[in-house]
Amino acid sequence: MGLANAIEIDDLKRTFTRRAPNALARLFTRRRTGTGTNADGGSGAGADSSAEAGPNAAGLANNAKRPNSLVAVDSISFDIRAGEIFGLLGPNGAGKTTTIKMLCTLLEPTSGTARVAGFDIVREPARVRASLGTVLSGERSLYWKLTGRENLDYFAALYDVEPSTAHRRIDDLLTRFELTDKASELVERYSTGMRQRLSIARALLANPPVLLLDEPTAGLDPQSARNLRDVVRKLRDEGHTVLLTTHYMAEADELSDRIAIIDHGRVIALDTPTALKEHIQQLHSVEVEIDRAPDGILDELHSLPLVRGVECVQSSNGHETWTIRVLTENSRQTLDALLDLLRAEGERVLNLRVAEPTLEDVFIALTGKSLRD
Amino acid sequence: MVDRFRTWLRRQFRVIGAISRKDFLIFLRYPANAVMSVVEPIMWLVPTYFMGLGFSVNGEAVGFAGFTGTSDYFSFAMLGMFMSSYISAAFWGMGFSVQEDMTLGVLEPNWVTPASRVSLILGRSVIMLLLTTINSIVVLAMGAVLFRVNLTGNVLAAVITVLPMLIALTGLGLGIAGVVLSVRRAGTAIDISNWAVTQLSGATFPVSVLPRPLLAVALALPTTYGFDAVRSILLGTKTMLPLKAEIGIMLASMVGMCAAGYAVFKAFERRCRRQGLLGTH
Repeated sequence: MGLANAIEIDDLKRTFTRRAPNALARLFTRRRTGTGTNADGGSGAGADSSAEAGPNAAGLANNAKRPNSLVAVDSISFDIRAGEIFGLLGPNGAGKTTTIKMLCTLLEPTSGTARVAGFDIVREPARVRASLGTVLSGERSLYWKLTGRENLDYFAALYDVEPSTAHRRIDDLLTRFELTDKASELVERYSTGMRQRLSIARALLANPPVLLLDEPTAGLDPQSARNLRDVVRKLRDEGHTVLLTTHYMAEADELSDRIAIIDHGRVIALDTPTALKEHIQQLHSVEVEIDRAPDGILDELHSLPLVRGVECVQSSNGHETWTIRVLTENSRQTLDALLDLLRAEGERVLNLRVAEPTLEDVFIALTGKSLRD
Repeated sequence: MVDRFRTWLRRQFRVIGAISRKDFLIFLRYPANAVMSVVEPIMWLVPTYFMGLGFSVNGEAVGFAGFTGTSDYFSFAMLGMFMSSYISAAFWGMGFSVQEDMTLGVLEPNWVTPASRVSLILGRSVIMLLLTTINSIVVLAMGAVLFRVNLTGNVLAAVITVLPMLIALTGLGLGIAGVVLSVRRAGTAIDISNWAVTQLSGATFPVSVLPRPLLAVALALPTTYGFDAVRSILLGTKTMLPLKAEIGIMLASMVGMCAAGYAVFKAFERRCRRQGLLGTH
C-alpha cells in the first residue's frame, strides 16, 4: 500500500434525522393516546438508528419533546497507521458502528471526510470498498442455505477475485480458519464461532490491506473469542491494518496497538493502552463485594470527596453478589467514608480490595460512568 | 479504453452469474416451493377455465370474440397469465429481493463489496426470469394437455416481440428495488402494484372493455402492447394498434423504463446512504 496511514478521518460527523410519522400513524397514535398533540410514532430512520446514535440532541421537534435529530458521530478526527490494530472502544450507542458504516460506504457522512487506503469514502466509494474487508456485527450476514464453500465462491466473484486464483484462495482460507471439514455443510448447521470465522474468511478473500471488524467476538464463547483474537493478531503480523470496534475492555486492551475511546459520538481519549492507563496511574480502584444489588447509593458514593467514578456489576463468581468499583484519587482517605456509607445503608461487605487501574477505570475516569451504563 | 470497458463488462457478467448461481442453489434447497410454483398457476387457472366454459355457446365465447377476434377465451387468459408471470418476476423477483436481503441480513455484506450495486440488483432478475420462463412453459404444456390450449402462431416471433417488454420490466424492477430500499416494508405496495399492472395490461380480459379512464391507464402501460402483440402472433387476435406500432412502443418504453429505473434506483440508493436506511428493516 505504501501509505503511512491506512485510514485518515478528518472532522467526520453523522447526524440522523428522526422521520416524522406518516399521517396514518399520527392518527392511530392520537386515537390510542387520546392526547392528539404530542404524537410521535418514531418509526423510520431516526428511530432505527437512535440506539446506535447516542443521545446528543441537535434540536427539538416543534410539538414533541424528543430531539428531531441525533448526532451519532460528532466531528471525530484521527489517523490509523498502516499495519496496526486500532481499537474503537465505547459503550453501545457510542457511534462505533456508525463510524464503521461510513468507512465502508454504507453511510454518507453529514460532514467531514475520511480516506481509506488513500481513497475518499464519498468520491471514490468503489475503490474504498476494493481496499477493504468488512465484517459487520450480526451472525446472519451469510447465506445460511449455502455451504461455507459456496458462500466464499459467491463472495469471491463480488470481491473480483480472479477465477483462476479464487479456488486456491478459498481452500487456503478454509484451512486457515479450520473450516475445511465443514466446507460442504450448510451454514445453518455452523456454530456461531464458525460463522464468525467464515465471515472473516470472506473479508480476506481479496486480501485487502485494511480490515474493519465490528464487534468480532460478540456472542462467542470464551474459547472461540480467544481463538479469534489470535487470528486478528496474526492478520496484523501479516501486514493488514485492522480497525476493530468492541465494548469489551479486556479485548481492546489485549489486542490494540492504539485505542480511541468513543462516547456520545466523540473521541474522548486516544493512545496506546499502556499510555491510557498511565494517565490515571495516580488513581486507585477500590472494589467492594456486597450481597445484594445496591439501592440508590451509587450517586452518594460518586459524591464522596476524591472519587472520580463509580460502577456496579453483578459478580461473575457464580454467587448472587455485586461488586462496586470506586475510582479514587486516594484509596486510604476514601475507604473510611466508603465503608461508613455502606454500613449506614445496611449493606454487608463480603470482600474488599484495592486494585491497579484497568482500561475500564480509564473509561470511568474519563466519563464518570461505567462502559455498561 | 475499449479494454477497460471490456474488463468492466466481464466483471459485471461475473457478478450477475455468481448471483444467478447462488439464487439457483437456494431455490433448489426449497424443493416444495419449486413444485408449488407449477401447481399454483394451474390452481388459479382452473376457475377461469370453467368460467369460460360457462359463458360459451357450443364451446365458443361469442361475445368475447367480438372484442378480440378469437372465441377461445381460455387460451387468451392462459397466455395472459403466462405473460403476467414476468410482471410478477419484475415486482417480486427484483423489487422484493431487496427486502428479502434486508430481512436475511445479507444486504450489507453484499453492498460492502466492490461489486456495482446496480449489478447486484440486476443479478437477481436473471434467475428469476429464467425460472419464470421454465415454469411458464411447464404450465403452458400442462394447460395444453388438461385444457386443450391451442397456440397456432410463430413462437419464435412471439419471443422476439416480447423481449423489449422483458427488458423494460427489468428496468421497472430496478426502480422498484430502489423504492423498496427506502420504503422497506413494501410487501403490500408491491402486491397491489403487481396486481394493478397485471390486470390493467389485460391479463384475463381485453382492455377494450375497460371504462375510458381505466383504458387510458391501460394504454399507458407498455405491457398492454406486449400482451396484445403476443396474443396476436400466437392466437391470431385483433391488435389495438398495428403490430409494428406496438413493437415500436415497446422498444421506446424499453429505453425509457431502463433509464428511468436506473435513475430511480440511484436516487433512492443515495437517499438511503444519506439517511442511514440500508440494512434496517
